Formats: sequence, C-alpha cells, structure tokens
Amino acid sequence: MDNDVLMKVGNLSKKYRMGEITVNALQEVSFEIKEGEFVVILGPSGSGKSTLLNILGGMDKPSTGEVLLRDEKITDYSDKELTNYRRDKVGFVFQFYNLMANLTSKENVELATEICEGPMDIDEILVDVGLGERKEHFPSQMSGGEQQRVAIARAVAKNPLLLLCDEPTGALDFQTGISILSLLNKINKQYNKTIIIITHNSPIANMGDRIIKMRSGKIIENSVNPNPIEPERIVW
Amino acid sequence: MKRLDLRLLRLIKNSKGQFIAITILVIVGLTIYTALSTAIVNLEDTLNYYYDEKNFAHIFVQSTKIPESALNKVKKINGVKEVEGRVVFDIKMESDNSDEKVKARIVSISDNSSINKLHIVDGNEIETKNKDAIVIEQFANARNIKINDTIKPYIEGRIFDLRVSGISASPEYVYLMEDEQSLLPMPDKFGIIFVSEEFARQNFGFKDSFNEILITVKDKEHMDRIKDQVENELDQYGIKRIYDRDDQLSNRMVTEEIIGVKQMSSTIPVIFLGVAAVIIAAMLSRMVRNDRMSIGVLKALGYSNMSILIHYTKFSILIGLIGSIFGVILGTILSSSMAKLYAQFFNIPMLKFKLYYGYMFTAISLSITFCTIAGIWGARRVLKILPAESMRPEPPKQGGRVFLDKATIIWKRLSFSWKMVLRNIFRNKKRFLFISSGIAMTFAITLMPSVLNDASKDMFDSHYSEFQKMEYNINFNVPLSINTVNEIKHIIDVERIEPKIEFPFEIVYGNSKMATNIIGLSSNTEFYGFKNMNGQSIDLPSEGIVLSEGLARFIGVQKGDKIKIKTFIPNKDDVYVEVKDIIKQSLGTNGYMNIETMSNELLNKNLITGVYIDSSDDVKGKLENVKNISSIQSLQDMRAVFEEFMGLMMASISMMILFAGILGFAIVYNSTVMNIAERRLEFSSLRVMGFSKHQIFKIITKENAVMTVFGIILGIPLGQFMMSSLEKTFSIELYTIDMSPTLSSYIITAVITIVFVVIAQLATYKKINKLDFIEALKNRIS
Repeated sequence: MDNDVLMKVGNLSKKYRMGEITVNALQEVSFEIKEGEFVVILGPSGSGKSTLLNILGGMDKPSTGEVLLRDEKITDYSDKELTNYRRDKVGFVFQFYNLMANLTSKENVELATEICEGPMDIDEILVDVGLGERKEHFPSQMSGGEQQRVAIARAVAKNPLLLLCDEPTGALDFQTGISILSLLNKINKQYNKTIIIITHNSPIANMGDRIIKMRSGKIIENSVNPNPIEPERIVW
Repeated sequence: MKRLDLRLLRLIKNSKGQFIAITILVIVGLTIYTALSTAIVNLEDTLNYYYDEKNFAHIFVQSTKIPESALNKVKKINGVKEVEGRVVFDIKMESDNSDEKVKARIVSISDNSSINKLHIVDGNEIETKNKDAIVIEQFANARNIKINDTIKPYIEGRIFDLRVSGISASPEYVYLMEDEQSLLPMPDKFGIIFVSEEFARQNFGFKDSFNEILITVKDKEHMDRIKDQVENELDQYGIKRIYDRDDQLSNRMVTEEIIGVKQMSSTIPVIFLGVAAVIIAAMLSRMVRNDRMSIGVLKALGYSNMSILIHYTKFSILIGLIGSIFGVILGTILSSSMAKLYAQFFNIPMLKFKLYYGYMFTAISLSITFCTIAGIWGARRVLKILPAESMRPEPPKQGGRVFLDKATIIWKRLSFSWKMVLRNIFRNKKRFLFISSGIAMTFAITLMPSVLNDASKDMFDSHYSEFQKMEYNINFNVPLSINTVNEIKHIIDVERIEPKIEFPFEIVYGNSKMATNIIGLSSNTEFYGFKNMNGQSIDLPSEGIVLSEGLARFIGVQKGDKIKIKTFIPNKDDVYVEVKDIIKQSLGTNGYMNIETMSNELLNKNLITGVYIDSSDDVKGKLENVKNISSIQSLQDMRAVFEEFMGLMMASISMMILFAGILGFAIVYNSTVMNIAERRLEFSSLRVMGFSKHQIFKIITKENAVMTVFGIILGIPLGQFMMSSLEKTFSIELYTIDMSPTLSSYIITAVITIVFVVIAQLATYKKINKLDFIEALKNRIS
C-alpha cells in the first residue's frame, strides 16, 4: 500500500433485510482515500452514501468486503475494537448536530475528548471554530450554525485520523452552510485532517480534492478534482 | 467530574420531582426497616437481659394445692435448677366507684425469692408482713396508686386494708393481661398485688402448701422432658396446668409482637423498594427510549455499551444511595425512641440499646441492589441501540383503527376528543398498562387498612353477637353443683340461663400441643352460634369435640382426626376424642363439647364452672358480692375493651394509609410526568393546531380517568390477593381475621385512589403550562 493512502475500501457490500425484501444498500464499492484529502461523496438520498459513511466510521458492519485504515482491517474488528476505533480514530459531524442538550458547548467537546487518547487543546479548537466567547452556552442558547461548530469542534478535538461529516450543512441556511464548509476546509488545511463529507448538494462537490459520485449503492464516478474551489465561491 | 456524570446530574435536576418522589419511597422504606429492626432487636435483647437479671421462671405449674414437701421431689429431677412455691389468687378489689369492677391477682413472694424477682421502681420491699403489699407499676400508674396508699382487696369474703410499700415491675407481667381471652391489657381494671408468703398462706388457707410452682432449668434443651417428669411427680396433687415460658401469657404476647414487628420490618420495606424499583425501571426505559439519538451519538463518540449502561444505571444507584443513607440515618434516630416506646409499652424497666451496624449495612445494600437491578433492567435497551440507526428519526408509530372503531354504534357517538383519547390508550398499551397497574397497586394498598378496619369491626360483631350471644358470662371461683343454676335464678330475673363448664386442658395432636380452655355447653345452646368453615350453622354434637379454627390451624388438625385431651386433674386419664368439626371463631381459641359428655369423660362429678345469662335485671349489682362468683363479664365491658383496642388499631391504620398515599402519589405522579415528557411533540403539534393548554389538559385528564377506572378494576383482584396473604400473616392462634372486603370499603378505597390521582395530576398541570411548543417542534436535540 502506498504510504500516503489512508483508507482503502475493497468490494464493500451491504445488504439489509427488510421483511421479505433484501435491500442492496451498497454493491461492490471500492476506492482509496489519501492522507489529508478532502473527499466529497455525492449522491441522491438512498444512494447508499450514509451506509458507506457509517461503515467507514465503524458504526455499521458490511455484509462483505473490507475497509483498511492504514494497515488495520477495521472490517474484522470486534464490537469492542470498533468502539475503540470510533473513540480514537474517527470524528463524526451529523446533519442535526446531535449535541447533549444539558451540557455546555465546552462540556460537549470534553465529553468526546475525555475518553480518547491524545486530544487537542479544547479552548484553542473552540476559538478556531469561532466559539471562543460561547464556551459556556448550552445548545438551546445557540443557533444551528453555532451548534454545528460545536459539533465540528467535538469531532476535531479528538484529534482523529479521519473526520466524517454526514450532510453537515443539510439543516442550515445557505450563508451558515458556507461558513461551516469553510471551517471544514480550514480544518482540512490547518490541521491536515482527512475529511469525508457526504452530501446530495452537488455544488459542494467542487470544493473536494476527490469527488465520489454514488447512485443506487454503486460508485458511478470517482475523480480527483485538480482545482478545488474555495467554499466561499460555492453557490446553490 | 466526568462530563457524562455531569450530564446525569443535570438530567436529574431536570426531573427532580420524579427523582425526589422515588427517593422518598426508598427513604420511607429504609427508615421503617432500620427503625423497626433496630428497635425490635434491642427490645429482644433487653427482654432477655431483663429475664436473666430477674431470673424469670422456665416452667410454671398451676395446681389446687401442693404441699411444700413436694418441692424437694421436683428439685431432685435431673436438670432442674431452682424450685419455688407461691400462692396466687384472682380477687376483686374494692373501688370507690361501685359500678366499676376492678380485679387483681394476689401473688405471694417470700423473703428469699430468687425466681421472678421484682424490680422495685418506687418505695421498698414488704416491711410489715401482714400489712404491706407491692403493686405492679402499670396498675399503680393507671389507678394513680402511690406509696403508702391503702388498697382494699376482697379476700375470702373479707376486705383487707393493705399499705402500698412499693411499686414494682415484674418480668412475669411485662404485658399485663388477665387471661388469654382478654383482647388487650386493661391496667386500670386488672393489676397484680404482691404480698408476703405469710400473709397469703394465712388468708387463703395454704399452710405449708402452695398452688403455683416456679421452676428454672439448667438447660432449656431438656424442657419437655423436665415438664413431663414434673407432671408425673406432682400428678397426685392435681395439676391444673403446666406450661413453659413459651406459653406464659405475657412472654407470649411480647414474643408475638416481636415476631409481628419483625415481619412488618421485612415486608413493608420490600413493598416500598419494590414499587420504587418498578418506577425506576419504567422511568429509565422511557428515558433511554427518548435519549435514543444521544445514545447513538455517545456510541459514535466511542463510548462503550457498558459505560452508557452504567451512565443510566447511576441514576438509580444514586436514588438507592441517597435514599438508603437518609433512610438509615432517620431510621437510626427513630430507632432509639421507638425502642424506648416499646420498652415503656411493655413495661420493661430497663433498656439496653445499641446500634446494630448489620442492619444499616443490610439496608444500604438492599436498597442499592434493588435500585441497581431496576436500573439495569430499565436501561437494558441501551445495548440494542445501533449508532447508525439511532441517527435516523424513528419511524412513525403505527396508527390505525383500534378495535373500538369497529364498534361503530358506540364509536359514532363519541366526541372527537374522546376518540383521540381512546385511540391513544389502545395504541400505547404498554404505557396504559403501566399507569393502570400503578393505580391498581395504590388501590390494593389503600384497600388494606380500610379492610382491616372493617375486619376488626366485623371481628367484634361476629364474635360478640353472632358467635357468643350471651349478655353476661359468669364464672365461679370453684366448680359448683349444677343446682347453682337454680340458685341464681332465685337471685335475679333471667330471661335465659345455661350452665357451662370452662376448664383448661392440653390438646395434643401428633407433636403439636396447645393449652386451651374446653367449654362444655348444653346440647341445644342458645348462647353460641357455631358455623363450620363453609359458613353453615351447625349444632354442637353430643359426642366428640369441635375446635375453633385458630386452634385447629395451630395444632394442624382436620375434621375427623382424633386428638388427645390431656388432663391435669388428679386420678383422671387422658382422653381421646374425635374432632367432629372445625368452627369459625375470630377471637381466642377453644374447644367445645356437650356439657354432659364433658363432665362424664373429663371431670369428676356433675359440676359446672359458670353460667351464661340473658337478663335485663341488675346482674352485676345483685351477683357481685355473691360468694363463689369470681367474675361477671357483660357485653358492655367487652365493647368498652374493644373500643380501646380499635383506638390502637386506628393509629396503625392511619400510618398505613399515609404509606399508601406516599406510594400512590409516587406511582401516579411519576407515570403522568413520564407520559407528558414523552409526548411533548404530540402536544406541541396540538398546540400549533390551536388547542389551548386547557384542552390538552382535558385530554390528559380523560386518559387518566379511563386509566384510573381500569386501574381500580385491576386493583380489586390484586387487593383481594394481598388481603388473603395478609390474612395469613395477621391470623395467629389468638385471633383469626376474616378479611373479605365489603362494598363500602371498595368504594372508600376507590375514592381515596381517585384523590391521589387528582393530586398527582394537578402536580403535572405545571408541566403542561411550561410546555414550550415551538421549541419542542423546532429542536430535535435531546
């Protein structure tokens, strides 16, 4: 394996059984992600992108196929190893932020860093995501964009190898969405974090180093974008 | 502090009403446990210490007359430690109030008495042997008798003036009751007067002899053998009764009370902890369901199943810990005053009190175990939540027609809100069942005291008007000829009179035996209404014996079995008779026989020991001073005693209602709060559609009303089940409680239950008022 390959996905399939019907959420998906890449997985709803992200993040297991993170085959992991993997190696950002309502923004970040190895400085991260002044606020006192920033801080502060973002702008207005994207871009550059974003919003794909297009559980296009654009120039 | 723990604390703060309600249950349960256990074990210790200190006798022998020389023979029996004789007689006391009937038991004490030593609390020992007396403390207190007062006992038809030289407690009369038939102590009506041996012997005619013997043994293991040997040795003198400490009335009452309290101290806390556990489990399972997404996030962040499970279980552990600490502290504080109260109630003049750390440890570990198990059980769904799935919104609940829709005739007539209420109930069967069973439990627990109240009234009514119908029960000092009946008829006008024989025997069946009075009655007695266990009236059979249910239960005998009647009368052999039937008798234990059969088979001659009378004449006034009449009991006397007994009973009944109230409130309050919290989104949608707070509250009220009715219906069989187990606990051999609830107790209980529901409901009104519907709809954070 190339030294700069972070993640290698091979022949990944996922079948769900829903009553009498079997749904093929993922069919023989293979690709590679390099260290520090900003990857955008693009696809309409039901294309299997969330399933893929969940498997990459160790939240779900594939039916067949493998996922390698550096040399570790995470698809062979036990539940306990998957828990440790989620704890130390990946950070999640969700569409609906999913913060703990009764913890302040700082405490929400600490909730994540408390259990992982080698976390980053929380105060610094909170300043970086633009929430230096709002550390002591509870989620209900913050706007959606601010909540998503907390969620990003929570994911980054763990100092993970990989940041997985599931429609991070899906619940936000355009302006706020752009600011979140540029925050992710900044994190990608500043901390050299590999980021995978999934979205159904095609203009966002233009900011990615790599664009993977999915439909019906298959990859229909996997391309490297030679000229990623700045998030601020995205329009939808 | 760990952030997860911080989250927990804030979670608790948000649901503090529920947290406190459950914690109070634990506190109450453990306070009762610690207080009662500690108090009662100290009472037991104290009692044993008191007995040792005062050298309380192991074996008691009652006889007509035993010469002093016989004592030496008893002393020689292997295993006997000490033997003492004494003279004991029940006598009447002269009272200032001529309507009042006061009795006393004269008990002789010798200078070198070493068994049943007195504990003088005031005054001195007997100084002038034929002038002084020592009065038992309870009697002295109740009748305000002071040192140097004069008391006036009737002895052999003569009034004596005795000076009170001392007031004393006695290990033999810790619980001062005249006999087994008394319901409770009446210290103002019956007392003990200790006189010198010389005085008693001289005035009762017992030169060089006694009518009671006290024995202590070296080793309690050999009690039965020693008893048998004593009996053989003294048989020729005519033993009325021989019994050991276990059957000694005062000791037996105290021991029974101790057993009762012990039972209570182990059942009540279990009920409270059990209810707390059920609420905890339900609450946590709802909490976990509502927190589904948060749990998914925690798992995504890398928290393990175990740490999340522990996170939720800590909620209940905290309840267990806080509850038990407060409970143990409160219980410990209460225990010493309770022990003091008990010691006072039982007239034990000393108290050895120490803390038993074992009970505290048990209390804390019991509570934590209960709460932990309930917590894990309630939160176990945590394990099933898959992080990937929990991120997606839950699929909408299946809505559809409920079966009531099909009953179109009814359904069409229902208003819209009723339709909604009914659909809600039928779609959330689990929640419906939880709240209903909470209400059912409240109903059942509240039913207990109400029924107990009814039951004791019934006990009185059935015993004193259906079972025993006589207006007066007259006992003689000594067995008299059957002709006495005619003599009494000459003294008073009687509407009805029947002779009776009432005599103590020991009834033996297999290895069980019990000393009890067998009553001989005329074959066509009008004064007793016997009913068999099926409730059918039966006549007294001419042969054989019928036994009261308590007695039959105690010795384990069935209808048709043969029992041995062991007699203490000299030169009489033991007799075997068939148990012809078992009859209902709520108070006391007795055997009943045909009076002729009884005197032929068990006694010597045509003698009777008393009469039953119906009369509107002044029975007491005319018969009181008649020679050989030892007691006249009227229905009025019994009623007065019973009312006092009821007073005591009411105190404990109110306690139980209070407990039921706490339980009921905790159950209903918690389930309603959970109900509202869970349906925030639903209520918010209704608010957006234009429903007012009041209308939403009405919907909840309607739902609760349906659940209350259902809960009460469910509570009836549950209550009946609890009754029947309680009946077994409460019915000892001395009395049998028939606890079949009446319609009125059902109605009263239902009303009380509804009041609890309404109070809890009002407490939740605040929650609806505070409901911020826009916030609830907008935010999906949990």
